[in-house]
Amino acid sequence: MSDAIGVLAANLAPAEEARTPQARVAGAMKGFVQEIGALSAFRLESCIHCGICSDACHFYIATEDPQYTPIWKVEPFKQAYKREASPFAPLFKLFGLKREVTADQLEHWQHLLFDSCNMCGRCSLICPMGIDVAALIEQARHAMFDAGLAPKELYQKAAHQRETGQPEPSAEPYRDQLLAIGVRFGVEIPLDKPEAEVMLCVPRTDIEHYPSAVAALARVVQHLGVSCTFRSDGLVAENYGYYAGGKDWQRDISLRLIEQAIACKAKTLLVPECGHAYTALRWEAADLYGKPLPFQVRHVTEFLADELQADRLKLNKAGTGKTTFHDPCQLVRKGGVIDAPRVLMKAMGIELNELKNHGGFSYCCGGGGGVLDIERAAPLRYRTMENKMREIDDTGADTFLTSCSDCRRTFDDAQSHFKWDKVPHSLLELVAKNLAGPGTRT
Amino acid sequence: MDLLGFARGPALKVALIVFCLGVVWRIVGFALLRIRRDWNKPRASVLKYLFGGALTVATRSMPHPEFIARTGPGEALGYSYHLGLFAVVLLFTPHIIFLGSLIGIVWPGLPSGVITVISVLTLTLFLAVLFRRVTNPVMRMLSNFDDYFSWFITMVVLVTGLVATAHVGARYETLLALHILSVDVLLIWFPFGKLMHAFYIFPSRAINGALLARKGATS
Amino acid sequence: MTQGNEALTVGEMLLKHGISRRGFIKYCTAAASAMALPPWMGPAMAEQLRNAPRPSVVYLSFQECTGCLESLTRSFAPTIENLIFNMISLDYNDTLMAAAGDAAEAARDKAMKDNFGKYVLVVDGSVPTGAGGGYCMAGGRSAVDTLREAAKGAAAIVCVGTCSAFGGIPFADPNPTGAWPVTAIVGDKPIINVSGCPPIPEVITGTLLQFVTTGQVPDLDEHRRPKVFFGNTIHDRCYRRPFYDQGKFAKSFDDEGARNGWCLYELGCKGPTTYNACATLKWNGGTSFPIESGHGCLGCSEPGFWDKGSFYSALSAPLWGKAGESTPLRVLEIGAGAVVVGAALGVAAAGSARLRQHRSEQQTDDTKGG
Repeated sequence: MSDAIGVLAANLAPAEEARTPQARVAGAMKGFVQEIGALSAFRLESCIHCGICSDACHFYIATEDPQYTPIWKVEPFKQAYKREASPFAPLFKLFGLKREVTADQLEHWQHLLFDSCNMCGRCSLICPMGIDVAALIEQARHAMFDAGLAPKELYQKAAHQRETGQPEPSAEPYRDQLLAIGVRFGVEIPLDKPEAEVMLCVPRTDIEHYPSAVAALARVVQHLGVSCTFRSDGLVAENYGYYAGGKDWQRDISLRLIEQAIACKAKTLLVPECGHAYTALRWEAADLYGKPLPFQVRHVTEFLADELQADRLKLNKAGTGKTTFHDPCQLVRKGGVIDAPRVLMKAMGIELNELKNHGGFSYCCGGGGGVLDIERAAPLRYRTMENKMREIDDTGADTFLTSCSDCRRTFDDAQSHFKWDKVPHSLLELVAKNLAGPGTRT
Repeated sequence: MDLLGFARGPALKVALIVFCLGVVWRIVGFALLRIRRDWNKPRASVLKYLFGGALTVATRSMPHPEFIARTGPGEALGYSYHLGLFAVVLLFTPHIIFLGSLIGIVWPGLPSGVITVISVLTLTLFLAVLFRRVTNPVMRMLSNFDDYFSWFITMVVLVTGLVATAHVGARYETLLALHILSVDVLLIWFPFGKLMHAFYIFPSRAINGALLARKGATS
Repeated sequence: MTQGNEALTVGEMLLKHGISRRGFIKYCTAAASAMALPPWMGPAMAEQLRNAPRPSVVYLSFQECTGCLESLTRSFAPTIENLIFNMISLDYNDTLMAAAGDAAEAARDKAMKDNFGKYVLVVDGSVPTGAGGGYCMAGGRSAVDTLREAAKGAAAIVCVGTCSAFGGIPFADPNPTGAWPVTAIVGDKPIINVSGCPPIPEVITGTLLQFVTTGQVPDLDEHRRPKVFFGNTIHDRCYRRPFYDQGKFAKSFDDEGARNGWCLYELGCKGPTTYNACATLKWNGGTSFPIESGHGCLGCSEPGFWDKGSFYSALSAPLWGKAGESTPLRVLEIGAGAVVVGAALGVAAAGSARLRQHRSEQQTDDTKGG
């Protein structure tokens, strides 16, 4: 155990504080047993303890603390697998070869699984055995949630979002704030149409911090003449259930959007500039729903790149000078949307100076996986960001773009903490500023 | 029955039985756990993502340029000793004859002197690998009995093989018996430890690579 | 054989046969050097032998093919070795002696009585104990009884050939006659095993000579074989060793490798685990030995060589019982059996894990409300 971390007390939501240690372990094991399938078992079996995954993880690279080795983050679950569900489990138990996971262990692992992991998936690219380590981390988070060990910030936001559709209460409901943005920026906000081809949603981070990005989304779809709508009962793109590891809550949160999309007979659910929303909706929602979704899920950059390639969208030259792009992990590396942002940037005549680690190999901004929301994780997060900031500086770029509002927020936070000379800009906002000619659908 | 007769006879028979039984038990034991259907729509066609999986089998052997500065030396060490072990096990004529008598086919081997040189090199690399595992903080933290014992038993096989070929230390038949006994122990240990990665590595890369290719994700 | 000559010493016998003292010393020096004894031993042996009364040797043959005796008598320096033969008083050997029947038995009993405690007992052939010893009877007595009786007055017992040393061919699976080596029957006398099927002539005579001249048992290995002849393996002295080291092996008899004299490891040569002097002393007065003639060593001087698998299957092949049992087909059978059992255990393991999952999920469903 690292001295640098010391002994961190569990970061628990008040609703979870009453649980006994035994109940925690029981909860974790139950959640874990339900998760284990042939694929995750195979992954846990395949680890040869080479430690190479640590060389992909920015938490390890920044701190050289071995505890941040990605596969180590799921160690109690590997132990539990061997003891409870592996083919030789009876032998392990009989000869006492694997100890039971303890409540103390689980509490310590809360820090490793939540504070020091962005769920960015870079480790899954480096493992010589081909193990998808990030997928194991997701499952481990499910078990931690079932043990009542999700960090309070994530737990509470997930609980609130499940109940109300918003991760946090706000003075005005988001619906009203959305309309106010339309008024402020002079753009139409289609809301609660009974039928539309495309259903829109919005990152609440944008509503709260980057209203211009919300306006940009509305402006772009208006320009394109797309038949689309926002729905009051399914507005928020983010999914705190995904961050907190509460699978059922993740499903319930996604269901809001799914049901609204079905209700307005949408053919496409358009994911705005958000990374994990894309993962949750494009690659996980159907499995939680239990059957294929009756509509496509597309990220706004994918959608716009298609419109561009179909000649329905024309863009002016953006004149941003030397530019670099931060690839949001959930969208690019894990989501598979690698080319779309570049197609858009190329169409705007942008001189792109790629980061040393770009595309699928990009380093996470540091705020993903809910880490941005966990207060006590901030000092560690800042340490991991130094490398990323240096990479961005090294490109010599004047402009730095990204396509995820949480990444944007994370970089802004870094700017204020480090007094950095750069802030990220939204690719969508840039597109909205450089729309050329009239839209072709009307 | 003398030690050599025991090692080549009943001990080897038991070892091969435990090996086959254990390997199949282990693989079947987890392969038959639940397989969840993916309901999300793939980005690529089935053919494309199966091909992606196959490609990953090959590409994971070569670290991506973004990683190689950090992982290169360690991975090179690991792959080198594996190549050395394969050469010694598969290209030394007495071994070829042994395997041939089990599976019915033989192939040409390398000169025995060359094999000796490769064995010594492999032995050196093997010692380096232990040193690395013990001194590297990440590996030290991760390592358990399985890691050390698997290393140890492989080392014993390697060393006893070299000593037997060199005819030093005891009568030849004793040395040969020890070598074959150590192989028997390795075969018995095989299904229960990390040596199973020999069976896992290609399917694991293929499956996980295919799942990533299905999303169009980087792999 | 020995009638009328009992009173002569060895030296007198030699002179009678026209062998000068000088010639005899030369022979003894050569013999001493063959046994790696120091050069001064030559004249000392010669002196000792010349002045010694000829020691009594009783040669008993049991379950044997007479090959060992044939080997012993195939000496290439006939005059000298026959004389050595005459230098011992060979008081009983049922193949070579002229007498037969009661007369032969009487001669033996007399020699054993007259030389009690001093005669050298040479034995070839294994000793059957099955059917109350009935598988080998001579003169109405079983081999076991004859051996036990003869051993009582022996100064030492020299077991010539693998049969008497280790049981040899009769002892091989299934051993229907209950054959045993001499060491299993007699325990309280010095025993020297001169194994081989048959042993090299000079190895037999050299061992006998050493004991007869020094009265001491030579340095023996763990199988009681004289280290001087059985201290190295064939492999360690084989002239084809460079080919082994280079990995040049003959793959079949009369293939190119065989015709080029390459190593016979793949053709089943047991040289690496066989201790004998064939590669150095060779046979027929140093003419050749099996490997030099193109056939792999059978390992005939080793215990149990008949039950160690085929003569043509390499040392590195597995050995699961009788020759021919460790074939790929048999391996496949055993492997398939193991696979089936393993699969069953795997199914059981997965099944029980899935059952737990199912139960756990049912529980969750029950405790969950809406």
